[in-house]
Amino acid sequence: MPKRVSAVLILIFSISAYAQRGGGRGAPQPPATPRAAARIDITGYWVSLVTEDWRYRQFTPPKGDYQSVPLNPAGKMAADAWDPAKDEEAGEQCKAYGAAGLMRMPTRLHITWQDDRTLKLETDAGSQTRIFHFEPAPAAGGGDWQGVSMASWEYPRPPVYSSFGGLDFGFPPPPAAGGSLKVTTTKLKPGYLRKNGVPYGSGTVMTEHFDRFDVPGGETLLLVTTEVVDPEYLAQPFWTSTHFRKQNDASGWTPAPCLSK
Amino acid sequence: MPVKMRKPVRVGLLFALTSAMTISAQGPPPGAFAIDVEGYWTPALHEDGLERGAGPEIADYGGFALNESGRLFALSYDPSRLTLRHHQCDGYVMPYQMRAVGNFRIWEDRDPHTQQLVAIHIWAQTTEGNRVVWMDGRPHPSAWAPHSFAGFSTGQFVGNALVIRTTHLKQGWLRRNGSPESDQATVMEFVVRHGEHLIDTTVVTDPVYLTEPEVRSNDYVRQPADPHAWLYACDDGEEITGRAPDAVPNYPLGKQPFAREYSERYKLPLIASLAGAESIYPGFGAKARSATEAEAVAKLQPAPNQRPETSRAPDVEPHDGEIHVLPIREHTYMLVGDGGNIVVQTGDQGAFVVDSGEGKLSDKVIAAIRQLSEKPIQFLANTSARAAHVGGNSKLAAAGSDPSLPGSFFDLQSPGRATGLLADPAHHATLIAHNNVVIRLQAAKAPSDAIPADTYLEERRRKFHNGEVVELFYEPGAVTDGDSIVHFRRSDVIAAGDIFNTTQYPFIDLQSGGSVQGEIRALNDILNRTGYEHDENGGTYIVPGHGYLSDEHEVTEYRDMVVIVRDRVQAMIKAGATLEQVQAARVTADYDTRYGANDGAWTTGKFIEAVYQSLKQPAGKSR
Repeated sequence: MPKRVSAVLILIFSISAYAQRGGGRGAPQPPATPRAAARIDITGYWVSLVTEDWRYRQFTPPKGDYQSVPLNPAGKMAADAWDPAKDEEAGEQCKAYGAAGLMRMPTRLHITWQDDRTLKLETDAGSQTRIFHFEPAPAAGGGDWQGVSMASWEYPRPPVYSSFGGLDFGFPPPPAAGGSLKVTTTKLKPGYLRKNGVPYGSGTVMTEHFDRFDVPGGETLLLVTTEVVDPEYLAQPFWTSTHFRKQNDASGWTPAPCLSK
Repeated sequence: MPVKMRKPVRVGLLFALTSAMTISAQGPPPGAFAIDVEGYWTPALHEDGLERGAGPEIADYGGFALNESGRLFALSYDPSRLTLRHHQCDGYVMPYQMRAVGNFRIWEDRDPHTQQLVAIHIWAQTTEGNRVVWMDGRPHPSAWAPHSFAGFSTGQFVGNALVIRTTHLKQGWLRRNGSPESDQATVMEFVVRHGEHLIDTTVVTDPVYLTEPEVRSNDYVRQPADPHAWLYACDDGEEITGRAPDAVPNYPLGKQPFAREYSERYKLPLIASLAGAESIYPGFGAKARSATEAEAVAKLQPAPNQRPETSRAPDVEPHDGEIHVLPIREHTYMLVGDGGNIVVQTGDQGAFVVDSGEGKLSDKVIAAIRQLSEKPIQFLANTSARAAHVGGNSKLAAAGSDPSLPGSFFDLQSPGRATGLLADPAHHATLIAHNNVVIRLQAAKAPSDAIPADTYLEERRRKFHNGEVVELFYEPGAVTDGDSIVHFRRSDVIAAGDIFNTTQYPFIDLQSGGSVQGEIRALNDILNRTGYEHDENGGTYIVPGHGYLSDEHEVTEYRDMVVIVRDRVQAMIKAGATLEQVQAARVTADYDTRYGANDGAWTTGKFIEAVYQSLKQPAGKSR
């Protein structure tokens, strides 16, 4: 009997110690707002580094040049019919500045917290504004170039320390550093993935991850990984990853109107 | 039915559970969580698909922060260079490898006893690129350690990323059209995983060819099963027969015939893809459109009236007053720290040493050799009479002995014996060199105990020592008239002396009988004796006169450089140019940020002059 009591005491002590370290159910509650929960800071001014798809991004490519984009036949047909003059006549010169094309523009970003539950991303190219809503979703909206974007934090998935060989003791793991901002955008007005009329449709679902990297030596990079799923014009998901470098201030910030070509 | 456990068993189980709880509670510190990158991955070629698949176009350097050297290197590059035997199987340098087509397999390597993560292996289908990312905290190798296409990588988990640092890369390309990445480049990588999507962001810092780090990212999609096809056999062969051995395809500076093809095909301003770092940033399109033709054409050739650029490569010499030993292969070592590199071969017999350094740290060199060999130095070979290679001759020889001599004919020549011609040959190491080294050292009034007694006159001198054939090959008229390379055949190590180095242009000493033609012949002679282990990596090791331990890839790039500079100077001489005009033309502009110097013993100007004067002398003729 004394041995059994000792063992139970040890077990209780262990659990108690674990809980005191913040790993147990008695740990502090998660932050009340997404802003407080942010483990990475992506606010500030950023400048795009156009090192990939350079020709397509720095210059408007010729009609029909949709290399690397997995267009389906309908997508190719639409791209082949690109007419920037018609877009201008229709007042749709911002078709390449919609959410699925905007981040590929040579641009600067200004990211700020609009409030504790909403991030705002502005671009000087095309003078566009994207709003990232954390839960709850807005009651209305969408149907415009930037659609409706829902945001959430994604944290590194730690191993399940509460398990031991499949035995779950029910304790959440200690918090991990770092993380990503995940943004899912829907309800988009049809636009262009590239300026030369490479299309995306209204049923597009775009999933982005924003990752921040601190490079030894002082530079800070923002990586925006994008998956565009468009059943109307794409034969498969379209993946790109776009980089930005942190600026200390608003240097170079030059708001400009959309250009159709 | 419940099983009733005996009391000790119950207590044991409770103990195990409580122990488990304690271990769980310890956990790793925040930020230390490993992300799972294992599995089969296929690159998503939705960015730069044409370039990465079919291939890029000449003069498409848009989005690269190439400096003038980098741009001119690329413009001079002729893809036919890949038909040369020593380029046919070039591997992909790591940042390009990660961007290449073909599948990838990634797996962890764990210590079988501790289960700690030792390394992450990344295997690439194309070229069988084989990366090892060390996760066990080991340091990077010394500055004089060999380079490889994969480089030396160490990693750690930071936040939600696997962060990798890579050094010791070979020269390669950023893009498959000759846009260069130098052997001085270092790379930071940030690998993140989002679901079944892996993204590797590479940040390439290259002081030689880039004005700012090059940031790109590669996307991969997880494969559910092994896609197979992991091998990539490559053996070189004769692609063009009858070609002169000193031919290296290249375009003269300013005469790239296809320079306008890319811009004309896509209706871009000519300057657009030549502009370097500014081509990366917003607003560049409009700026390029407003550039003049003259501004664009100026980018196709070296900027006039400028002093040569100087090397941006970090100094690999330790300069710490110590001798550093780098094991090359079993029983073969490279000693660094006293001027020129020293090679030591050990075994049952006495040590065989190649070159003796500058002589400032000879005592420490001797001490280092004693750590490697119980036997004294028996042979000391000199690759030339240059001061950085013979300065320690007297001391090293005196510290050794040649047990093959007592009682021999040569011993009879010692003082007090029959002739007295030789100074006590048995009781110091035997010095070996080409006869012209002796002549040069005697002319320089070197002490007699620093002058080789065992000489040869023609093609080679052979010995069998410490279980392997050791051959000295005469390389006439390379950097001097007495150059030898020393080949340890079983170890497969070649000591190249100053014929090859990784730190500067070749020191072609015209006054001592050197010539650019002889230098090219000698470099090709080295390449005729080398082999690679896989895709121009490893195989025969080459110990340079100065710089880091190399293999045939470094010698090939160096040979290419000397030939290309020779071609440019030759063309200008044919056109009647004076030395001053050749100097002003900056014929080394694409190599100066790697090898150039404007002061010190060996400047870019002196190198160009040596090439010019070699070619003006009819005696210099390519083999």
